[in-house]
Formats: sequence, structure tokens, C-alpha cells
Amino acid sequence: MNIASHLEKIRRLQSLRGRLQPLEDFELWFWSTMTAGTHAVNAALHDAGVTPQESAFPSQPGVYLVDDGAGGHAPALRAAGDVLHVGRPPIAAPVPRDVQDMMDAMEIIESYRDPCVRDGLVPTPEIVDRCDTAYRRCMDALERRLPESAA
Amino acid sequence: MNSAKHHEIACNIERSLAKCGPEDVEMRIEAAMLAATHWLNAALHDIGANPPDKDVMHTYMLTINDFRRLSLPDPRLLAMLAEIEDIRPLYVRGDAPGGREAADRACGLLDRIREMALRASAAR
Repeated sequence: MNIASHLEKIRRLQSLRGRLQPLEDFELWFWSTMTAGTHAVNAALHDAGVTPQESAFPSQPGVYLVDDGAGGHAPALRAAGDVLHVGRPPIAAPVPRDVQDMMDAMEIIESYRDPCVRDGLVPTPEIVDRCDTAYRRCMDALERRLPESAA
Repeated sequence: MNSAKHHEIACNIERSLAKCGPEDVEMRIEAAMLAATHWLNAALHDIGANPPDKDVMHTYMLTINDFRRLSLPDPRLLAMLAEIEDIRPLYVRGDAPGGREAADRACGLLDRIREMALRASAAR
């Protein structure tokens, strides 16, 4: 996807995130945090020239939905593009230090995904704080690289 | 995870989903996927197709053997969750036009999956 679309999604997700209570709405608060952060990483990877900006939407690592020329979309193999989650797929090319830091922050968030959202681990204020701190670290790095993301 | 816990988490996700507006396309679809997965797992436990220590994460991560086996009691459950999952690439990770309608569709499928899961629970 292109950077502008990633940023638009981040703005929408941040708006919702602000309306949710981190503990009471943990699952959706967490999921909006993770999804916005992943869009931030993808925007930064495009800006750094590591992955291409294109209308190709990941359905699984290595498979993207692309324009089929008939008004719809069809799956196609792609070597690189948007990641579904940090590490899915791994980025083979060198990644700038600031983007790597964003990805490291996202790994902290991702570590709570299945335990808290699928496996029944009860979220705590400490988990919320760790996820929120990692999210801000990711978004601050995006803002330094793409100042328009702060708008 | 037992079916009661799946019900509890699904209901919590749906309470948060109610705080979304029509414009929150991405999270309406994701909430539908997450809650529907919990309802599906609850139903599979209640009808005895899967034990509590075996949960489905995504239909596309199932082996073909398991997809066929779990579809036997009622193929609509897995098919409807798969349809929600298939909406995600275009509208959560992508910017294809028609996101609001896609989110409406995902939430409609969630309603039907919940209804079937509650019926399975009542019949247990």
C-alpha cells in the first residue's frame, strides 16, 4: 500500500484507540495498537526504500492481492511488500537503524498478542504500560522519519 | 480454553466493537474476526468436535484434514469465519474501496456465527 494510505489508517486507528479503555477494552485496544504500529512500520519501510509502495495487499507471507484488471483483486506471489506482522515475512534487505528500532518495539507488542487476545492471559496495568510505551516509541520514530504522520 | 471463557472474551470484544463508529472499518472487521473465532471455538468445544485444549486460530492455518473434520458438524461455521478472514487483506491491510460495506458484512457474519454458537451451547 502507499504511504498516504498507511498514514490515513493510522489516524483512524489512533482515533479509535483514544476512545477505548486500555483494560476494559483490552482486546480491541491492543489490536488497534498492533495494527496501527504495523502500518507505521510498513510506511517507514516504504520511505526507506526497503519495500515497494504498491497496491498489493498481503494475505499471507509472500502472497498479495493485486488488481486483476477486471475491477477485482487476485492473489499473486511477491518477493517483498507490506508485512502482515513484524517478522511475517522477515525483511531480507538491510533496514535502517530507526526502522529496526520501530520493529523491535513492535516485537514487544506482538509478544502479548496470542497470550492476551487468544489464550486468556488476563491483561494487567503493567502489560498495558509496556504495550503503550512500545507503541509510542514506534510512533515517535515514524514522526521523526515522516513528520506528516503527526498531522 | 473452555467454551465459557470463549464466550466471555467474545462478549468483551463485542462490547468494545459497539464503541466503533461506521468509519472504524479496520477494527470493525478485526473485532468481527476475533470475536467470531472465539464463538467458533466455543461451538466446536460444545459439539465435541475439538477438546478445550485445541483451538482454531485462523481457518487458513488448519490442515486440510482438520478443516474437513471441523466442517462436518456444520460447514457454515468455518465458511463464515473464512469469509471474514478473506475480507481482511483488502480492507484492513489494504485500501480497496467499499470498506464500510465490507465491515458491515463482517459484522453480519459475526451475528450469525454467534447465533449458531449460542445454539450449540444451549444444546450441550
